Amino acid sequence: MSLQYLKDAADRGDAEALIRYVRLHLGDGDEARGRAEIDKAWVEALKPLLDVPPTDRAFIHETLATKDPATLAHLFFDLHFYLVKRSGEWIHDGNL
Amino acid sequence: MTATSSDRGQLRPGLWATVNERYPGSMITKRDLVPLARLAKPLAESRLTFVSTAGVQPKGTLPFDVAHPVGDYSFRRVPSTATPADLEIHQLKYPTAGANRDLNVIFPIERLRELAAEGTIGGLTPSFFSFIGYNMDPERLERTLAEEIAAAVAADGAEAALLAPA
Repeated sequence: MSLQYLKDAADRGDAEALIRYVRLHLGDGDEARGRAEIDKAWVEALKPLLDVPPTDRAFIHETLATKDPATLAHLFFDLHFYLVKRSGEWIHDGNL
Repeated sequence: MTATSSDRGQLRPGLWATVNERYPGSMITKRDLVPLARLAKPLAESRLTFVSTAGVQPKGTLPFDVAHPVGDYSFRRVPSTATPADLEIHQLKYPTAGANRDLNVIFPIERLRELAAEGTIGGLTPSFFSFIGYNMDPERLERTLAEEIAAAVAADGAEAALLAPA
């Protein structure tokens, strides 16, 4: 999808078009696979927290308080790939 | 953008329809084509550069951004003297297993040096140029990345360019 297509979808509030694009991006062109990858990332995000280990809450707070929304959104995509790679099940053809 | 073989017909009928179904709005129509330039002198006397979308880059440089949903509009210079051991690939969207065994299958840096050494090519530019092909904003791609690479290629004294999509 072109950037203009996505901007038009955002302007008219077409969330389905936007999430479809995200699924295609994360699934390398396969929407169903992208949906599964999103689920996988959330499972991988949950697992390290189940034992409630200490985490760097100050870092998280400072990052969220000081970084611009685009950087944080970009980080969100990076975290997705970090988490799915951490799962050990890598569906992509290439490398990060 | 330069004229392409698409002027002579499409090799895979139906491909664009499939792309448009999966990625609506991604196909662009280009009307202000720039004709392909002709060689000013034989290839054996010309300095060649190589431009690739393979995501190949020198180790230690900032990895191409394969996570960003709209793409990465930067490029890396790859010294034409580099060895495959000096380089790595950061790209999600094509199978890199073969290229990881022999980089030349996607980024034929050693083959080009051999062709230059044997005189088939007049010489090589100091740098080759690499970027990733997953970019959702073709206007930005043309306005920034393509223009920047074209300027760098010209500054490197290229007289011919080998363009290779991954």
